[in-house]
Amino acid sequence: MAILEEVKTMIEDGETKLITEVVQKAIDEGTTPEDILQAMIDAMSVVGDRFSTGEIFIPEMLMAAKAMSEGMDILKPLLVGSSSTNALGTCIIGTVEGDLHDIGKNLVSVMIESVGFHIIDLGVDVPTARWIEAIKENQNVTLVACSGLLTTTMPAMKETVQTIKASDLNGLKVIVGGAPITQEYANVIGADGYSADAGSAAVKAVELVKSM
Amino acid sequence: MLTRRQNLLETITGGKPDRFVNQYEFMELIMEAPRDDRPKPGGTRKSKWGITFVWPEGQLGVFPLHDAEHKVLKDITKWREYVHAPEIDTTETVWAAAVAHADRVDRKDQYVAGIYLSGVFEMTHHLMGMTEAMMAFYEEPEAMHELIDYITEYELAYAKVLIEKIHPDCIFHHDDWGGQKNSFVSPSMFKEFFLPAYKKIYGFYKSNGVDLIVHHSDSYAANLVPYMIEMGIDIWQGVMTTNNTPELIKKYGGQISFMGDIDSGVVDFPDWTPEIAARETERACRNCGKLYFIPNLTQGLNVSSFPGVYEEVSRSIDRLSREMF
Repeated sequence: MAILEEVKTMIEDGETKLITEVVQKAIDEGTTPEDILQAMIDAMSVVGDRFSTGEIFIPEMLMAAKAMSEGMDILKPLLVGSSSTNALGTCIIGTVEGDLHDIGKNLVSVMIESVGFHIIDLGVDVPTARWIEAIKENQNVTLVACSGLLTTTMPAMKETVQTIKASDLNGLKVIVGGAPITQEYANVIGADGYSADAGSAAVKAVELVKSM
Repeated sequence: MLTRRQNLLETITGGKPDRFVNQYEFMELIMEAPRDDRPKPGGTRKSKWGITFVWPEGQLGVFPLHDAEHKVLKDITKWREYVHAPEIDTTETVWAAAVAHADRVDRKDQYVAGIYLSGVFEMTHHLMGMTEAMMAFYEEPEAMHELIDYITEYELAYAKVLIEKIHPDCIFHHDDWGGQKNSFVSPSMFKEFFLPAYKKIYGFYKSNGVDLIVHHSDSYAANLVPYMIEMGIDIWQGVMTTNNTPELIKKYGGQISFMGDIDSGVVDFPDWTPEIAARETERACRNCGKLYFIPNLTQGLNVSSFPGVYEEVSRSIDRLSREMF
């Protein structure tokens, strides 16, 4: 449908001022909210791929995420009771203890949210105990995403991941990322997944949670 | 044997250096010049611009705080209400140590290097937070241009004083323009917002006795090199291996030189070893060659985060100079 293509284009281009009008138009034309949402999720997937390949940059990704959010404001009331929103559960995200970098974590957060997770952002410099508390405090936590940019905070990431994995908290997967982190390191510390950037983080998050 | 300055010049002009330029040896950094100081390890400090920086105990550097309490610029459209450039202290006593240091330098052997931390790009996100700054380029471009002009005017005012006081012939200027794998903003956005600012700043230095512009960005920024050349950068310090430095040298050597290619994250970490330092230094020197290249840790000062790493890399460079020249 042409209108869904228009929705996708608006998201991919980060048209924050036009998206609500187009989403409303799609609704008025009788497109189901679920189909509109799927078009928006597909668009964010394209955005993630373009970011991963270096075709677009941080501002473009953030604008796309904002357009998605604006579109969701129109859609949400129509999706109440639908299984489409937050269908993948809750993701607890943060930067590990000792590390105050937030841009990578923020980008991953917007991408993961766009594919259907409810996000609980713990912020930066998050101690291990706080991760555990947050998992216990929130319903349907299916994913924990730990970010860290510094080599010196890799031990904190290891402690966080291993504490979560050793706890009796189950039904969730742990994904890690950040400049010094590699797939090998993720394997060593027992994380379930690793991604090199925000675009692939969303893909990996979906894959991990759907595999449960 | 060439002096350190002569050897640098031979290297960056495609001449006949008699050894590798060894990291920062060609510049004497005048660290005593009044600057907007940062906290010491474990401390917190509010900068003269009002930005609160913390250096967490046991970590590698400082971070600006951007929670609601600490963020300086809360609304880009009202930036004039929030952002106030500090006074530049010109009193003799404050500059005395810097002047004395600069006077002691043998300028035939080394460049007297003024240092400027947190350039125009970093200032935008230090003031308002990275996410907000990135989106403001799209949402409030006019206000961002105005803010950048304001920050640039401050830099120019500081440059004027720095030149009057210590007569630097080199500027070592920090502004990180990317992450490991890509620049933060697109080349076209960089061209629109930052190229004009840096043409003014580096143009001013070059018109006032500064021969050498060394710009620090320990990141990917290969896509910005044409603009680096246009704005007058002579040496890009901090070039990471993700840029494919040998290719950059092949493409742009003669217009700009590259300093780095030894990624600090790979070499300078708690469990570092001399073998890793030697391996990475040798890889860099053999891959990048003798011209338009200065082997160097990507860190933005003549130190390492962990004791002994910087010196070990220097020893490896000396050994490779003996082997390769």
